[in-house]
Amino acid sequence: MKNFKTILGFELGNYFKSKSYVISTLLICLVCAIIMFVPRFINSDDKKDNDKEISSENTGEDEKKYMALYDKSGIVDMELLAGYFPGVEFKLFDNAEDVKKTVEAEEAEAGYVVNSLTDYDYYVFNRSMFDENTTSFTEFMSMSVKMNYCDANGLDRDEFLALEYAEINVNENVLGKDSVSNYFYCYVLIIIVFMLIVMYGTTIATGITNEKSNRSIEILVTSTSSTALLFGKVFAGAIATVFQVGLIGGSLLGSYHINKEYWSFDIGQFLNIPSEVIVAFAIFGVGGFLFYAFMYGALGALVSKIEDLNKSAGTAQMLVMIVYFITLIQLSNIDGVAMKVCSYLPFSSYSAMFARVAMGSVATWEIVLSAVILYASVAVMGIIGGKIFRASTLRYGNPIKLTAALKGLRKSE
Amino acid sequence: MELKLTNIKKSFEEKEILHGISFSVESGKALGLLGRNGAGKTTTIRIIMDVFRANEGEITLDGEKFVPKSNQIGYLPEERGLYPKKTVTEQMVYLANLRGKNKKDALESTKRWLKRLEVDEYASRKLDTLSKGNQQKVQLAATLVGDPEIVILDEPFSGLDPVNSQILKDVIKELIAEGRIVIFSSHQMSYVEEFCEDIVIIDHGDVVLSGNLDDIKTEYGKGRRIISANNLSLEELKAFCDSKLSDKVTVHDMNKHYVILNVKDGVTQWQIFDALKENNVDVKTFGAYEPSLNDIFVARVGEEEENEAKNENEEEQPKKKGLFGRSK
Repeated sequence: MKNFKTILGFELGNYFKSKSYVISTLLICLVCAIIMFVPRFINSDDKKDNDKEISSENTGEDEKKYMALYDKSGIVDMELLAGYFPGVEFKLFDNAEDVKKTVEAEEAEAGYVVNSLTDYDYYVFNRSMFDENTTSFTEFMSMSVKMNYCDANGLDRDEFLALEYAEINVNENVLGKDSVSNYFYCYVLIIIVFMLIVMYGTTIATGITNEKSNRSIEILVTSTSSTALLFGKVFAGAIATVFQVGLIGGSLLGSYHINKEYWSFDIGQFLNIPSEVIVAFAIFGVGGFLFYAFMYGALGALVSKIEDLNKSAGTAQMLVMIVYFITLIQLSNIDGVAMKVCSYLPFSSYSAMFARVAMGSVATWEIVLSAVILYASVAVMGIIGGKIFRASTLRYGNPIKLTAALKGLRKSE
Repeated sequence: MELKLTNIKKSFEEKEILHGISFSVESGKALGLLGRNGAGKTTTIRIIMDVFRANEGEITLDGEKFVPKSNQIGYLPEERGLYPKKTVTEQMVYLANLRGKNKKDALESTKRWLKRLEVDEYASRKLDTLSKGNQQKVQLAATLVGDPEIVILDEPFSGLDPVNSQILKDVIKELIAEGRIVIFSSHQMSYVEEFCEDIVIIDHGDVVLSGNLDDIKTEYGKGRRIISANNLSLEELKAFCDSKLSDKVTVHDMNKHYVILNVKDGVTQWQIFDALKENNVDVKTFGAYEPSLNDIFVARVGEEEENEAKNENEEEQPKKKGLFGRSK
C-alpha cells in the first residue's frame, strides 16, 4: 500500500482532468440551478392565467361541465347535490337509456341513475386515472340517507350537520420517528446511493478493463502492488463521487435559496433531515459504495475487452438491483423481518439499515453492529478484490468466470 | 549480482505451464531468453517480477530470496501499453513515482531518459499523437525511468526502423556496461547474438538448452564442415557426398551457400579434402561450420517437436489397439 497516495493522486487527476467528468458535472449543476429558477417564470405566467380566469368568469364565457341524471325514486335533493359538484350542471332525464346515450355521445361528462337511497348506477365514456365522480356522488348519497333519517325522525338538519362536521383540533406530537415526513428523503437518498453505486461502480470497472485492454496494466502491476492499485482507484472514485454529488447538491440548494419565495411549497421541510439520519446515511452510504466499488473493480479485472464488461459486472449490477427493490418495497414494513435481515448483510445494509434508522425502531447496538459488519466486509472485499485483480489482470482472452477466479484464489492460498 | 532461478514450476488451473525452469544471469551480462510463442517465456518473466507466484522452486539474488522492490525491475512488455490520452511526461513521472522516486527525481529521470532516447521533443505531447516508433521509444523510457538494477526487455526492437534500432542497441549496450542484469527476450536472433553472452531456450515449459552462446555454437559446430564447389551445384554436391563420401560424412543440411556435413568419427578434414580432389571436385569453400543462433534454435526446438510427436505416437498406439480390440 506504499504507493496508495501516488495512485490516488493520479486517479483523481484522471477524474478532474477528464472532459466528460467536468462537462457532465457542470451541465448537471446548471440544469439543477435552472430547474430551481423555473417557478420564478411560471408564477408570472400563473398570474396572467389568473387574470384571464377572472375576466372569463365575468363575461360568462367559461365552459360549463354537464352531467346526466335520472332520479328513478325521486329522492335526489338537487340543492344538496350541487354542493358536492360545484360548477357542474345536471341535466335531468326520464329514463336510464337516455342517460347512457347522452354519456356515449359525450354530451355529458358522466351520468347517474339513482335507483334507491342506497343504490345508483354510474355511467362514464372514458374513465380517467383521476376520476373521483363516484366518490363525490357516494358521499352525496350517504348524506342523503342521513338527511332522510333526520326528516323521518324530526331531527334538525343543521344541528345534525354541526355534529357531523364538528371541528376537531389535532396537536401532533411525534416522540419517535415520523415515517410520513421521513419517507420522502429516505426514498430519495436510497435512490441516490443506488444510482451512485451503479454509475461509479461501472466507471471504476471500465477504467480497470481499459487499462487491461490498452495493456498499461502490464507496467502498473510490475511497478506496484495490485492491492494499492485497486484501493487507489476505488478511493479516487469515491472522492470524485462525493465531490460531484456535493457540487450538484450545492447548486440545487443555492439556486433554491435564491428562488425560495417563488416556490409554492417549502422544500426545506424535506431537507430538514435529522442529524442522526444524515450520519447514518454518510456511514452506510460510503460503506456500501466502497463495498460495491471494490466488487466492481475486481469484476472489471476479469475481462480484457470493454464489450465483455457487462457479462462480468452483471453480477454486481444484479445484486445491487435486488437490494434496491427489496428496500423500496419494504419501506412500508420498515421493522419487518426482511428489513431486519437486510440491515445486517453487507450487500444491503447500506440502504436497509439506513432506512431503519430513518423510519423504524432500531437500537444503537444494532446500528453499530451493522456498521462494523459492513466496514469489515469492505476490508475483506478490498483484499479479495485485490487478489482477484492481481490474479486476473494479466490473463487476457476470454472473460474469466468469477467462480474460476475465486477457485484459483483458494488454490493459491 | 547474480539472479538465479531454480526448478520453477507454475500451473494455471489444472495445466502445468512451467515444469521446472532453472537458469541464472549475472550483472553486466545479457541473457537471451528464447522460445516459441507459448513456450513459457512471459510466465517465467512474470514470476521473476512477482506478478505470478511459482507453485514450486525459488528465485534468489546473490543467494538471498528475491522479492523485487518496485524500483528494482524495469520491464518492457511485448504487448506495449501506456495511457494513450496522457502526456508522455505525465505518465512517466507517475511511473517513476510508483517506483519510489520523489517528484523532483522523477521529473529529472524522465527528462534524462527521454533525451537519451531522442524523444524529449514529445515530452508534452499525448502518447497517441506519436508515431509507432516514438511510442516504442517512450515505452522503453518508461521501463528505465526508475533506474532499475534488472532490465527485462520483451521484443524491444519490434516496430523500430533501422535508425531507432541503432539508438536502442546503444542504450542496451550501455545498460549492460553499467553492470545491470539484462534479460532479453526476442524472436529476432540476430539481436540476441549481438547482445547476449548467455542464452536459455524454453520449449513447452522446459529449458531445452542453456549456457554460454559461444560454447553452444562451438558444441553445435563440432564435427561439422561446410563445403561448396565451383563445378557442381549444391544439389549435385549433396548427391555426390551421399554417394561417394558416405564412408566419411553424412549430409546434415544445405543452405543457400553451402552443404553442411557431419564428419564421421576418426575422419580428418584432409581425408575428405583428398577424396574430393580425387573425384575432380573443384572446391570453392571448405571449412569449419559455425551455426547461427537461428540454426541452433530451429534444430533444438525442432528436435523437441520430433521427440514429442514420437512420444505422442507411441502413446497413441495402445489406444488404437484398444479400439480395434473393442471393434472386434
